Amino acid sequence: MKRLYLLAAAAALIATPAFAQNTITIGFTDSVTGPLNVDSLGQTRGYEFWRDEVNAAGGIKAGGKSYKVKFVSYDDESVGGRVQQLYTRLINQDKANFLFSPYSSGLTAPAAVISEQYGKIMIDSGGAEEKPFEQGNKYLFMVITSATHYLSGAIEALKEKDPHAKLAMVYSDDPFSKDVLAAAAQQAKAAGLDVVLDESYSPSTTDFGPVVNKIISSNADAFLGGGHYSDGATLARQMHDQKANMKWMSILVAPADDKFAELGPAALGVTVPSQWEVQVSYKPQFGPTTAQFVKAYEAKFHAPPDYHAASGYTDGMILQHAIEQAGSVDPEKVTAALNAIDVTTFFGRIKFATDPGHHGLQVGHKMVLAQWQMINGKLGRQVVWPTEAQSANLLYPMPASK
Amino acid sequence: MVRRPFFWIIALVIAVFAALPAIGNNVEMRESLVLACVYITLASNLNLMLGYAGYINFGSIVFFGLGGYICVWLVYAHNWPLLPSLLAAGFGVSALALIFGLGILRLRGHFFALATIGIVEGVQAFAENFSPWGGSSGIYISPAVFKPFGGAAEALWVIYFAMVAVMGASLYLSYGIKSSKFGLGLLAIGQNEDAAAILGVPTPFYKALVYCISAFLPAITGGLYFFKSAFIQPSDAFDLTLSTEAIVICMLGGQGTVTGVALGAFLYEELRGYLLTSPTFADFQLTIAGVLLLIIVLFFPSGLMGFIYSRFPRTQKVLE
Repeated sequence: MKRLYLLAAAAALIATPAFAQNTITIGFTDSVTGPLNVDSLGQTRGYEFWRDEVNAAGGIKAGGKSYKVKFVSYDDESVGGRVQQLYTRLINQDKANFLFSPYSSGLTAPAAVISEQYGKIMIDSGGAEEKPFEQGNKYLFMVITSATHYLSGAIEALKEKDPHAKLAMVYSDDPFSKDVLAAAAQQAKAAGLDVVLDESYSPSTTDFGPVVNKIISSNADAFLGGGHYSDGATLARQMHDQKANMKWMSILVAPADDKFAELGPAALGVTVPSQWEVQVSYKPQFGPTTAQFVKAYEAKFHAPPDYHAASGYTDGMILQHAIEQAGSVDPEKVTAALNAIDVTTFFGRIKFATDPGHHGLQVGHKMVLAQWQMINGKLGRQVVWPTEAQSANLLYPMPASK
Repeated sequence: MVRRPFFWIIALVIAVFAALPAIGNNVEMRESLVLACVYITLASNLNLMLGYAGYINFGSIVFFGLGGYICVWLVYAHNWPLLPSLLAAGFGVSALALIFGLGILRLRGHFFALATIGIVEGVQAFAENFSPWGGSSGIYISPAVFKPFGGAAEALWVIYFAMVAVMGASLYLSYGIKSSKFGLGLLAIGQNEDAAAILGVPTPFYKALVYCISAFLPAITGGLYFFKSAFIQPSDAFDLTLSTEAIVICMLGGQGTVTGVALGAFLYEELRGYLLTSPTFADFQLTIAGVLLLIIVLFFPSGLMGFIYSRFPRTQKVLE
């Protein structure tokens, strides 16, 4: 009989973990396989880096308790149907308290169908399209600037330097680049700048000779366009080789890669819109400064962080801040805290749209504009816009090709 | 047909699919079985072309994607209810398939296979440039479309039962065709098309008809799938990987058999799902899947059903 009591006592101990640590489970899927795997990796590293730092500092403190952060994640193979299956599992089986979004807008929309019906908060840093935020979602929040504002900074800067600049826009025929340039064309018109050429090319284009000739004969002063790495880099090289002599060049994506330096003189003066760069100098209200973040990240991963890593880290940091402000992990209270957030972090300002037509869309954060300049005799990127984050002055017109 | 045990086996499969997740409101199981239904439907309908008539169709995904586009577009831009949108998708895609089929089914063997890839590329290029369908960024539909069903949670159940029904219809279709004169004609075409023609099988008509029929149910499944995702874009809708997977499933399960293809699709999806979420295998799930495929191809060349038939010859009488 005594033994039975002992057994019962032991069972009770196991069943009720009275001394168990409070944990918050955050679930997400990442594209380890499939076409999006490269872009997804930086974001995942950002998440994990944040988790390790929070746990090392004792966890998230809310309402007098402290919560350790636990991740559950699966590979979604970059497929929408799989995303729904896995988010259903994350919520029901793994009991995730909060969610991060999958990488890309196309995967975030299917995931939101699941997260919204369970009232789970999902923070998005991997998809820049606005459409998922126009569907009346209540618990979806995005920390990065949407595609529509990718080139807003470039247009502003250009207008300030030359209010009569003529623009040529030539860009890859993919959803993201088309969205970005369509919005930029409207903003240019609103700013009184003249768009003299507006064309798209197939993403598999390898020879831009005819395109460059068209740009030259359009008499444009400024060039905006590009798409992905290889087409953007080739375009920059051919613009230089054919002496297009632009006063301004903004190319999407490609110049944000350190490999762009291989172009040598063709890279000089080219600008790229970026969500974040290692040189940005915002004064954070909480969390690390950019310098601290970069140093700790490099020590851990032996590579400089890209903006995916920084925005992934920001996802976590903003969620943590909202939980701490709410003093609770109750989804409604945390949602209210997220709706009210207006803060500056090392990633920039974060504030979410709260009107039902755009709920959760990022309205605080601004793209920075980085320019390839000579730094101590070597090519490197400097942040030149907006002025409050700049690390060097903008060169305009860009150094002429020789 | 109703007197044959296989008819009731299919009925049992449908009942199990419908009942299992509904008991205890098991949504995780439902989400896993949804994908199994998609694979079974795609593979079974592909099997009509591949297994029966012997024509390799790399473009079966076109039916799925186009069906998805038509359905999502009708719901999104014209506020149609789901059911008529699905039917429009099914009939619309079948009609297109008939027109395409009359053209490309003049080709045989490798040339036909190449032409089907061309159709995928062509239709995808069309979708990418057709602005009412959102061009390359696709169509996002608001979760508000789920309201008529009582909300997203209820809508997902309705969609699931619809997908099970479509899957069941695919199995009955495969079975019905196989045991009909039409099916015998197709099998004859698969064996030797010239001989079949000489023996009086109207080959061009049969081929176009089977191509058209094999488009109907995948189009409806596509409609359901993308309605469920609330999003469709060309690169997802016309993903050649899914086409290839359907072919692999037919080969693995045993092309030309109803049971083998369905079982192959089910096992394929459940295995993938298990490997992806298993803490032990998640990091090298592709390696495991690859090794398993290799073992099956090397040791069971006639597919799962070939193995079962040779081991248990009696099953040939029961399992089609």
